[in-house]
Amino acid sequence: MTEPAIQVRGLCKEFRLVHTGYASFKGALLWWKKRNTETLKALNDVSLDVMPGECVAVIGRNGAGISTLLSILARVYKPTSGGLKISGRVAPLLELGAGFHPDLTGIENVFFNGVILGLTRKQVSERMESIINFSEIGHYIDAPVRTYSSGMLLRLGFSVAVHVDASVLLVDEALAVGDLEFQRKCMERIRGFQSEGGSILFVSHDMAAVRSAASRAIWLKDGAVQMVGETDQVVSAYEKFSAQ
Amino acid sequence: MRGELTELWRYRELLWSFVIRELRIRYKNSVLGFFWSVLNPLVTVLVMTLVFEYVMGQRVPNYSAYILAAYLPYMFFQLAVLDSAQSVLSQISLLKKIYFPREILPIGSVLANFIHFLLAMSVFFAYLLVIWLLHPGDNPFRATVIYLPFIVLLQLALTLGAALFISALNTFYEDVKYLVSVMLYLLLFLCPIMYFSEQVRYASGIPAEYRGTVYFLYHLNPVAMLMTAYRKVMLDPQNVPLPGKGGLAESLPLDWTLMAICAAVCISVMFAGYAFFNKKKWQFVERP
Repeated sequence: MTEPAIQVRGLCKEFRLVHTGYASFKGALLWWKKRNTETLKALNDVSLDVMPGECVAVIGRNGAGISTLLSILARVYKPTSGGLKISGRVAPLLELGAGFHPDLTGIENVFFNGVILGLTRKQVSERMESIINFSEIGHYIDAPVRTYSSGMLLRLGFSVAVHVDASVLLVDEALAVGDLEFQRKCMERIRGFQSEGGSILFVSHDMAAVRSAASRAIWLKDGAVQMVGETDQVVSAYEKFSAQ
Repeated sequence: MRGELTELWRYRELLWSFVIRELRIRYKNSVLGFFWSVLNPLVTVLVMTLVFEYVMGQRVPNYSAYILAAYLPYMFFQLAVLDSAQSVLSQISLLKKIYFPREILPIGSVLANFIHFLLAMSVFFAYLLVIWLLHPGDNPFRATVIYLPFIVLLQLALTLGAALFISALNTFYEDVKYLVSVMLYLLLFLCPIMYFSEQVRYASGIPAEYRGTVYFLYHLNPVAMLMTAYRKVMLDPQNVPLPGKGGLAESLPLDWTLMAICAAVCISVMFAGYAFFNKKKWQFVERP
């Protein structure tokens, strides 16, 4: 039996919420006012396995803990309790090139993003041509990124993410900004990535996209797993629930 | 801490990319580029020299060299600490998307400023050379200049520690950066930059029996000690005029006991700052 690419066991995550806005010395000095904080349980005992080569969709309402789950997998948050094991490198698809600096050119940003995702500068320059070709940015690659359209940013960000030899790709409903042609290309690339044994965790509110891309789906509700199984069954149950 | 350091080493390429990016961004849309960061201290020192020599009548040969020798390192400390204080907060949206060792942000700010400092120091050496060519006298470089790398490394350690500590704190309490900028401003006066440390040792305003103690306490401040050390190892000993009663104070040699204390402080600050940062870094993205 093969090892799962992602193994999550009993994952819990709590956030402390404050209603008074910015943190400052004020907060530390007015300690008796701390009654204002409350604890939010974003994830409650979530367990899941994603096998190599599998594409799993995570669905649910806003605030169900989907982004928190993806952030924990990207090692942005430390879980409050529970454990996770990921084999290989995780490439979160940074929505609209979150790591891009507006004043730098496309090439400079590709270097930076590639290195953040775990490549060396040498590897980035070896793959530069392929990255530029895939993104269809063309000669605008030498222009500052602030002049790019949101579609161009998305294409460049996606192009870097699929060129970093990740074994797990986290796709967070970003693809919707690209045009049809590019979406088709992305899907193709994702299938290729899957057939090479890569795993994908896919978040979308577009149920048609979920049905076509994912083989399994997980429905999160209020931070807990409501249902896991075949995409069709889970999506149908979720749609039925949402229609009520 | 060992695990954290291995992790940081694994991400050294990213650290370097951050440094390059910081340097690129700074001069992206300016025509004169690096020239600006040299122009600022040069103009400041020119004005200081004019004021001290002609208004306050402090006649010291080659005064501006003594100011520069301390002012350039001070500028490095100031800019690195202020830049890094904002470094984590300004990248918080990136931090919320992806993992990398968080200490890369403040360390990157410090290193970018460190590169500026090294370039500014080479301009300073060029300046010394020009002065020497115009007024040929003694060799402009003293043999003790071989100690310079150690002093520079000590300052780098101190700056890194302060930067890590302050950037972690500023992420939770944004008042910190205002507090720090006031403290840095006061530090300019509490370090031998516009005056000489001998003038502290023989200050007429302090009773004679306390002067030694004051001199010692004054140099417990690691930044002040480093500034004194920079001057002592790079430039000729200088008899300085004493304000008030007149006369000259003889130049004091570098006090190695104080230097050892300073070294211990710098290295402790670095490790303590790093330990503090590591304790706090997972809370950055969750700050309430």
